[in-house]
Amino acid sequence: MKNKVLSLTLLTIFVFSVAASGCIGGEETTTQTGPQYAEQIVIGVTDKVTDLDPSNAYDFYTWEVLNNVMEGLVKYKPGTLEIEPALAEKWEVNEDSTVWTFYLRKDLKFADGTPLKAQDVVRSIERIMTIQGDPAWLVTDFVDKVEAKDDYTVVFYLNQPTAYFLALLTTPPYFPVHPNYSPNEIQSDQTAGGAGPYKITKWVRDEELVLEANPNYYGEPPKTGKIIIKFYRDASTMRLALQNGEIDIAWRTLRPTDIESLKSEGKYSVIEVPGGFIRYICLNTKSEPTNNVKVRQALAAVIDRQEISNKVFKGTVEPLYSLVPNGMWSHIDVFKNKYGDGNIDLAKQLLKETGYDENNPLKIQLWYTPTHYGDTEADLAQVLKEQLEETGVIQVEIKSAEWGTYVDYARNGQMQFYLLGWYPDYLDPDDYTTPFLKSTANSWAGTGYANPTVDDLLTKAQSLTDQDERTKLYEQVQEILAEEAPYIPLIQGKLFVVTDPNVKGVTIGPDMIFKYSTIYKEG
Amino acid sequence: MARGIGQYIVIRGLMIIPTILILYTIVFIFLRILPGNPVLAVVGTKNISPEQLQHLMEMAGLDKPLYVQYFDYLWKMVHGDFGVTLAFPMGKPVVEYLKLRFPATLELTLFGFSISVLLGLLTGTIAAAKKSTKIDTGMRLYSIIAYTLFIPWFGMMLQYVFGIHFHLLPTSGRIDPGIELQRITGLYVLDSLLTGNWEAFSSAVRHVILPATTLGIVLSGAYTRLVRNNMVDVLSQDFIRSYYARGVKDWKVMWYALKNAFIPVVTLMGLQFAILLGGAVLTETTFNWPGMGTFIVDRIDYRDYNAIQGAVVFFAFFVGLISLIVDIVYALLDPRVKY
Repeated sequence: MKNKVLSLTLLTIFVFSVAASGCIGGEETTTQTGPQYAEQIVIGVTDKVTDLDPSNAYDFYTWEVLNNVMEGLVKYKPGTLEIEPALAEKWEVNEDSTVWTFYLRKDLKFADGTPLKAQDVVRSIERIMTIQGDPAWLVTDFVDKVEAKDDYTVVFYLNQPTAYFLALLTTPPYFPVHPNYSPNEIQSDQTAGGAGPYKITKWVRDEELVLEANPNYYGEPPKTGKIIIKFYRDASTMRLALQNGEIDIAWRTLRPTDIESLKSEGKYSVIEVPGGFIRYICLNTKSEPTNNVKVRQALAAVIDRQEISNKVFKGTVEPLYSLVPNGMWSHIDVFKNKYGDGNIDLAKQLLKETGYDENNPLKIQLWYTPTHYGDTEADLAQVLKEQLEETGVIQVEIKSAEWGTYVDYARNGQMQFYLLGWYPDYLDPDDYTTPFLKSTANSWAGTGYANPTVDDLLTKAQSLTDQDERTKLYEQVQEILAEEAPYIPLIQGKLFVVTDPNVKGVTIGPDMIFKYSTIYKEG
Repeated sequence: MARGIGQYIVIRGLMIIPTILILYTIVFIFLRILPGNPVLAVVGTKNISPEQLQHLMEMAGLDKPLYVQYFDYLWKMVHGDFGVTLAFPMGKPVVEYLKLRFPATLELTLFGFSISVLLGLLTGTIAAAKKSTKIDTGMRLYSIIAYTLFIPWFGMMLQYVFGIHFHLLPTSGRIDPGIELQRITGLYVLDSLLTGNWEAFSSAVRHVILPATTLGIVLSGAYTRLVRNNMVDVLSQDFIRSYYARGVKDWKVMWYALKNAFIPVVTLMGLQFAILLGGAVLTETTFNWPGMGTFIVDRIDYRDYNAIQGAVVFFAFFVGLISLIVDIVYALLDPRVKY
């Protein structure tokens, strides 16, 4: 009799489960007209959206979202670094690159049909200058004023000649935003957007973002009408969701081990894109023992980047021997040329010259932050420790602190030897050198590095318009960087998009921004 | 008698206040002792001047002396205001997040709770009925194993088996992407029932099965043991023998025994509810369930003082309320309780 109760209970649970799983929600249906593409594509990410407002958004993933719901006067041609017209159909620049005039397309509209005129461009940029949010410097450091000559003509007057102004214009602070955005306040959850290929139709922070094709977009309509972005707390849950068919694309950021095993499964398309983000070690030039340049050089000589790439990142990154990334004009492998890779003999010799040997080893603390750069960070610290200790002359103690604390320590110069990373603001060598090496711009890093020669070279390079001349200056800067080693470049990331094999059209250029309008899923 | 229970309820209710106050104080102190702060977490590696940093600190109210910050927030809470978020984004009322996230946790907790009680009663009763047999040993073993299971590991096992291997159930989230559901209570299963949205209902139920089962099984172990021991105790009493002597059916006898053995289980339910909420943090993280647990963990990363304080105090208040209800039910069930 009691067995009957048990059986009945189990039967109830079974029937309930079967009933629940009998009708499957969320199945894609295919459009009946045109090509047989799925109506929606679901993208999983572990990144977060911070502010849906270009006046304060200053992180890579939020910029990606803004790039899909807004557009600037110019943009990168998909998959390249070639600038092409966007909201502006053409432009002119004066002799010394200080006055830039842009001519807007006629009949531009925001996603809700509100006309977009030159005055909207001016209003949006002045809003950035007024609010003074995190990325405001991308405007205020360069633009003196901006004017609308008429409904279709926008003129920028710059503080100084800026050769890479078009690259700056591709960043969100220059995107015109809908009039619903408050003129003087950050609106983190504002979904009015701008004039990009998509519009936001649903936004639940840290949970889901739904984008639908903008019917008023001037350009080619997106191939997929609806893009749903699902936010995951960690890579392993996102990977399971991909394997279970809950998402079509796993984007930023799977772990190296996940990428490796998903590749080997052979069931997914794994698309690899060169990334512009870099990882490096900071060395405090103001405090013991890293204030001694020979100690810094010795530490730089020991590092074996290829081993780091293989052991920690399973080949998902490439070794980097300068702060200017591989493939960018002016890049030189300065650290490789000067120290080689894993050059223990040179390190020992340099340390001997400063009084360190087996009996009196160099004792140093290596700091890392456990979550901000993904969960490979502890492994990276461990491999670095092993490499350094292989000399027999260095003793490393690994220490860690959470991001909020870590940043505090860095700013206050409380760490001597610590890991950080950098995502570019705009694609120019200036963005990989000035923030690190210019004494007036690098307080955030806490290295205390200051060199008047480097300051002059960087200032000069910013104002020149000739790329060959600029190249020479950045090469000089990189040589000094390797010589003085206030930073030791480690690796340059690659980006991986893992998709359902039916998903096509993934195009990510050197700007690392994933434009969703080109993707589609075959039904 | 009525006045007695009334007084009892009031006194028990008032006891929630010092509990919350102590917890708030502990959280406040811990957050401030740790180095770093929400403003720095937001600023990160941006190049800003000390003046700008100071301005941000003032905006966040972090420039005031600690005791002022402490009493300011306390005063706000008394008025039902949990302050605004201090990071990503800044300035959004914490209450809005609680409204959004708490129903998700409540839904998971209710399902998990139901599963744990049902499983506990079932296994405990079977163990008592089959006392000193292999089945009894099996059930007792189940209770120990269930109690010691590590939620993230067990959750992942279920995800692999029912998600990846059999493709029966989703492994994360609360509902399939793209399904529109009108929000009434924030409990998706209930909302979909109330609005007659069957597609959403099916999706919400399918999503809740794995996380609730994980939580339910882990927490059922404690009930198994308690129900079994109480039932064994009750089954050896005279009135049960008299039932058998009068030829009352087996299952009816078990039912009467269970009713008698139920009182201590109610107490455990109250205690378990608090543990449930703790377990929910781990379960939510494992299943990417957008509730209070994941919210608190996210906010800890940002050092968002207001959000963490608000969420913890809200949790404490809720747990206090549940224990109060349990105590009242217990007092009504058991005439031996003195008010």
